[in-house]
Amino acid sequence: MATRSRLRSTVIWTTVAVVGAVAWGVIALVRDEQISAVWLIVAALGSYAIAYRFYARFIVTRVLGVDDRRASPSERLDNAIDYHPTDRRVLFGHHFAAIAGAGPLVGPVLAAQMGYLPGTIWIIVGVIFAGAVQDMVTLFFSMRRDGKSLGQMARDEIGPVGGAAALIAVFSIMIILLAVLALVVVNALAASPWGTFSIAMTIPIAFLMGFYLRVLRPGRILEATAIGVALLLLAIVAGGWIQESGGAVADFFTLKPKTLVLCLVAYGFFASVLPVWMLLAPRDYLSTFMKIGTIALLAIGIVVTLPLMENEAVTKFASSGEGPVFAGALFPFVFIIIACGALSGFHSLIASGTTPKMIQKESQIRFIGYGAMLMESFVAVMAIIAASIIDPGLYYAMNAPAGVVGDTVQSASQAVNGLGFQISPQALSSAARDVEEQTLVARTGGAPTLAIGMSEIFSGATGNALKAFWYHFAIMFEALFILTTVDAGTRVGRFMLQDTLGNVWKPLGRVSWKPGVWLTSGIVVAAWGYFLYTGVTNPLGGINQLFPLFGIANQLLAAVALTVATTILVKSGRLKWAWVTGVPLAWDAVVTLTASYQKVFSDDAKIGFFAQRDKFQDALDKGQVLPPAKSVDDMHQVVTNSTVDGILAALFAVMIIVVILDASRIWLRVIVSRRALPTTETPFVESELFAPAGLFPTADERLALAGATAGDGGAVRTDRFTRESETTGPRGGP
Amino acid sequence: MRPAAAEGRLRDLARGIRWYLREVAGETMYDRYVEHVRSEHPGAMVMSRRDFERWRQDDRNDNPRARCC
Repeated sequence: MATRSRLRSTVIWTTVAVVGAVAWGVIALVRDEQISAVWLIVAALGSYAIAYRFYARFIVTRVLGVDDRRASPSERLDNAIDYHPTDRRVLFGHHFAAIAGAGPLVGPVLAAQMGYLPGTIWIIVGVIFAGAVQDMVTLFFSMRRDGKSLGQMARDEIGPVGGAAALIAVFSIMIILLAVLALVVVNALAASPWGTFSIAMTIPIAFLMGFYLRVLRPGRILEATAIGVALLLLAIVAGGWIQESGGAVADFFTLKPKTLVLCLVAYGFFASVLPVWMLLAPRDYLSTFMKIGTIALLAIGIVVTLPLMENEAVTKFASSGEGPVFAGALFPFVFIIIACGALSGFHSLIASGTTPKMIQKESQIRFIGYGAMLMESFVAVMAIIAASIIDPGLYYAMNAPAGVVGDTVQSASQAVNGLGFQISPQALSSAARDVEEQTLVARTGGAPTLAIGMSEIFSGATGNALKAFWYHFAIMFEALFILTTVDAGTRVGRFMLQDTLGNVWKPLGRVSWKPGVWLTSGIVVAAWGYFLYTGVTNPLGGINQLFPLFGIANQLLAAVALTVATTILVKSGRLKWAWVTGVPLAWDAVVTLTASYQKVFSDDAKIGFFAQRDKFQDALDKGQVLPPAKSVDDMHQVVTNSTVDGILAALFAVMIIVVILDASRIWLRVIVSRRALPTTETPFVESELFAPAGLFPTADERLALAGATAGDGGAVRTDRFTRESETTGPRGGP
Repeated sequence: MRPAAAEGRLRDLARGIRWYLREVAGETMYDRYVEHVRSEHPGAMVMSRRDFERWRQDDRNDNPRARCC
């Protein structure tokens, strides 16, 4: 029996490996003809399966040494509210919904400028060796410390300097993140009454749901969400009617980018001071269900319609570094731009937040920590597919800044020809007409491009008549959860600020003192609002200038998380396994520092912020106006923006160096003394809870579960459970 | 498969989906809370559903959760 199941396992995994390898071969080697997007899906899924089965299992058993005899915080501290043993499948849903957002959708779209191959390789390899490892390891270490946050762990494990740097890193990434995401929304909604109306309607819909849950039927979340989703779909359809009617209502919702900035800033402020039940909580339910639903729809759409890749595997911009979407060569910028889909520092905040307090058993970190991140990476693969199945000419017309492509279809067609791609003015107009937008020229930020790709995939299944609906459906879906991130992020930023300022002047730290709440909310909103405004008005293009900064900030936070993890491994006497987080840390540090170095010191004014500043300042001194600036005011603006952005890039680099140097002081102490340092883990308590580790229970787990009564979401309290049932068979495959 | 068995399986699936959605959305938190208070703190006051849900919402005012990018 045992040999037969081992044989079966060998056959299955050999097949997975061979199929995955063939798919990789097709992607990497076929050059003269278009390949089907399905090959990317197969290569991704095959690689994930093998990584999950072998590498993640190795980390869990050998490196971390998960121990299911040990009670998890949720079991020991169970209070039925924030500490509660939660079914692994439910917790997977929560964790995935918290980590997945617009990042893995937007980054890959921009990275498609280098061709689909470099981005796809990094999304898949990066997640396996860096991103999913970071998420799972952070989850594990936080779980062993009763759910401590990343900031606390940095302070405890590294010291006050590293801890302070980590805190500044978290705050600054939050500000840049909110500004860049809001910029994506502005670029998607500008001059689009359809999109603006649909998104505006989400506010009254949220109020209605909030009222329903507060007053009418408290706790009936599914009912309220079903009503909300129905109204949301109606709002998308109604947006089309409003736009077609073309009357005063349509004009009212036709907004300029600057007006949208004011709307978003005002929205962010109110969302963060209003009670959560009114706006934030209901929108969170809506966006979570929309997110999961749309991602599933996209996966089905790709498999059903089998689209062909129009993009080149590797474009000339990969080596020349002169692409219009963002400047800089493949190394390091592809790794900076992809960000969330491969390695996202932001996830370490989630993995050291709610999830470790809810997990039932230690062995479940593989399914929840590693598995959820694999799924996020899969979302990123679908995004790069959606950006690569559209005509490359259209892609560049949409994603190059207005300074490059101008604002008419003629100028855009000419500029795209200059870049070495073709699209006629007629084709550009008809593409815009198909999705009922005024124009698609210079619609930067990734969201409109992704929406075009998604509408192409979906209408491949439903017919072209629905193309405009699907485009605005996709825009709504992205804007919805970007705005959820914006209001939640503003609130989290406000609390961090209150916490810090409370040390200086007590009343500011009190969450019940209204003036303090308004003041700190105002500061946070003003901070991201400033970057949003400069992004919208920057003649050089906001996404072009700010997205690399966002990527650097996110990778900086990943460096902090990986440093904390490596430090804990070293301190706890696992020096020989420190490479598991140490190698991704080294890679991440090299990428991020190279990118910041180029952003600060490059002589090329397209890449280096200070070179750019000097170029425009020199011209100003001579009284010249350099294109794409159109006036002296524009020139001054470029000078100011480049200075601020350059200082930020330098600041991020300094913080990475400080955190790593501070931590290496501790690594050295351990290496020299050859002795592990005292542990900061909570002491061992015997577990009385049993629950399966993976998605499906193994045969042994099923045996152990049988007989006992189910409770606690699929977990069973038992004293009959013995270790033998674990050692006799392989534990949960994917 | 016999029709009766297929129907049973379909019913199981529907029940599973309903269970999952209720759990993910957090609709079952109140039941869990009541069970917890009854078993761990017998004799203690149990909040009504309305009070519990309000308390839970208000708690999130001061404990915001980050949503990722």
